[in-house]
Amino acid sequence: MTKELKQIAIYGKGGIGKSTTTSNISAALAEAGYRVMQFGCDPKSDSTNTLRGGTYIPSVLDLLRANARVDAHDAIFEGFGGIFCVEAGGPAPGVGCAGRGIITAVELMNQQNIFEELDLDYVVFDVLGDVVCGGFAVPIREGIAQHVFTVSSSDFMAIYAANNLFKGIQKYSNAGGALLGGVIANSINTEFQRRIIDDFVARTETQIVQYVPRSLTVTQSELQGKTTIEAAPTSEQADIYRALAQRIALHTDSKVPTPLDAQDLRDWSASWADTLIAQENAAYHPHALVS
Amino acid sequence: MPETDVLLASRPHKPAVPQRTNSIEQVRSVCSIGAMHTAAAIPRAIPITHCGPGCADKQFMNVAFYNGFQGGGYGGGAVAPSTNATEREVVFGGAERLEELIDASLEVLDADLFVVLTGCIPDLVGDDIGAVVGPFQKRGVPIVFAETGGFRGNNFLGHERVTRAIIDQYVASYDPARDGAREPRTVNVWSVLPYHNTFWRGDLSEIKRLLEGIGLKVNILFGPESAGVAEWKAIPKAGFNLVLSPWLGLETARHLEKVYNQPFLHRPVLPIGAAETASFLREVAAFAGLDPVVVDAFIAAEERIYYSYMEYFTDFYSEYWWGLPAKFAVIGDSTYALALSKFLVNQLGLIPALQVVTENPPEETRSGIEAQFATLADDVGAPVLFEEDSYTIHQHVRATSFGHKAPILFGTTWERDVAKDLKAALVEVGFPASYEVVLSRTYVGFRGALTLLEKIYTTTVSASA
Repeated sequence: MTKELKQIAIYGKGGIGKSTTTSNISAALAEAGYRVMQFGCDPKSDSTNTLRGGTYIPSVLDLLRANARVDAHDAIFEGFGGIFCVEAGGPAPGVGCAGRGIITAVELMNQQNIFEELDLDYVVFDVLGDVVCGGFAVPIREGIAQHVFTVSSSDFMAIYAANNLFKGIQKYSNAGGALLGGVIANSINTEFQRRIIDDFVARTETQIVQYVPRSLTVTQSELQGKTTIEAAPTSEQADIYRALAQRIALHTDSKVPTPLDAQDLRDWSASWADTLIAQENAAYHPHALVS
Repeated sequence: MPETDVLLASRPHKPAVPQRTNSIEQVRSVCSIGAMHTAAAIPRAIPITHCGPGCADKQFMNVAFYNGFQGGGYGGGAVAPSTNATEREVVFGGAERLEELIDASLEVLDADLFVVLTGCIPDLVGDDIGAVVGPFQKRGVPIVFAETGGFRGNNFLGHERVTRAIIDQYVASYDPARDGAREPRTVNVWSVLPYHNTFWRGDLSEIKRLLEGIGLKVNILFGPESAGVAEWKAIPKAGFNLVLSPWLGLETARHLEKVYNQPFLHRPVLPIGAAETASFLREVAAFAGLDPVVVDAFIAAEERIYYSYMEYFTDFYSEYWWGLPAKFAVIGDSTYALALSKFLVNQLGLIPALQVVTENPPEETRSGIEAQFATLADDVGAPVLFEEDSYTIHQHVRATSFGHKAPILFGTTWERDVAKDLKAALVEVGFPASYEVVLSRTYVGFRGALTLLEKIYTTTVSASA
């Protein structure tokens, strides 16, 4: 029996810890014995850095810029645990069309049957999360990823990006696109942050796949150009990533989320802001000091 | 009663309103970048197109080939260079490719003016064309650019963009001390759309001849009788601008009024036939303050010839009345549709049955066009339909009552099938006229009207045998 390739897309607002999370998931899957490709879909081309000792690799689009015909193998580089690392790449900031670049890069891999040839168990797409145009929606469109996860903190802007992604998923869901596996709740260290993100997933009818706390271990590992799995394999944080990877590996049924419309999202965030202010007022109230 | 008469009799007098299709079958205008023909219409100017492969060729084959077989000439058709933008230019931007193409074009092509036109790809991706063309302009290369991506509108609007680009980037400033005083008896003419209007070359020649006849110096700007870029450079020195169309060129004239303080005369009706032409020339003469004696003498001489031909023509026209159409439909761009309607109503006494304007004129110009059609004659007005889709247009044609005689349709090659079905005469007067070979023919002015009469009645009598 031939094994089934599982393709997963991980979206998140820039700077939210998406590449860190994705690389740790890939590393944990590789550690568990799976054949994994990590496919960075961000013009910055730094998704796979921590899988390769902090180094950049030439992107698919770098190769396409230099050559009319490109052998997809030339864009694949081995990383930690035998992970196949690919970066889609993109044009210089401010010119060209980065979205089309991602389409081109993904198409090139598909045309040359790379995923089948490499006998992969997992392809993990790491995608810039604002879904600003059609190109950034490619991994969730028909025939690419089966499951989408989004990395979000409890910050309003991160949730806004996640909500936008949900709109994209909802849009493509009727045309056989990928469905939502859930939210990877990143940088969740307090009960209050947890309540915000829990409320958001409840309202959008999805789930939390894993709470990931902010950790100095992650920063230290990244400074070494490594994932936490590689640099601190016995740490508590590494086990959290392993648990996350295992949940994703076992995950089978994704759903269509119910994104909030613009006004609902604004009202929702305002209500949480009010709660936050009320709490802080209570904490700093003079009576609180004397009592 | 023959079967067709039953059908005709059963047709409602008011056209049924067909359902809108939200699609366009059989196009009547082309992409904005079709205005590459505006550049090619200026002697020794060459368009450079920055677009996908096929875009420029399609414009040429549509507008300049299967439309009177006009041909490419010095700078159009197969001459016009193109970046042939591919996926690489989409992803990384096409600025470098365009720069390379301009450099190469300067090496191998000899032109007085290059006009860079963009297609959808660079306009969507956001290529900074000004940043590419700017350094060439600073080096003194005669080159301008216009952003003409398809989503900006059709070739009529593209034409406005290109003329504006040439004025702002090439003609530039006017300094009476440096360039000489304004010449009150010189006129810049903004009229029919070059190449799209199948007869533009002949029409502009006749307009130029008429205006020269009353004592003006004419910057006709496009076509074989234009002096090329020298005429464009002389635009600011002219005493005034003449807009001879319902709306096309009006924005240009307003712009020239703003930047050069140059007045303009707007005459919506392109003149066909003696009455309209004489009225036109007298209005222009009054505006320019020309000597009425000279003007009247020119008009009288033209009329003498015109009506002499008419005198002979009346034998045919009065004898053959039973075989000639009484009602007409006109389907075309607003300039020709209006000009023809005026002539047919006022000079031939035909009855307007359906008027369709097909170039999708800007919303704000439509009431003006409607007003013109409402006053075709003192006692004749006609509604006008704005429609681009030929399927819908033909539904309207079929639903129109033309009375008991076969009608005459003034339209395009797209009307061939519906004309056959209605046993109508068809005179192809606009884009696309795919079965007409057109060199210098004109249907405007004194001379063009005679040619138009020949065409109308040759078509009519030849159908009887």
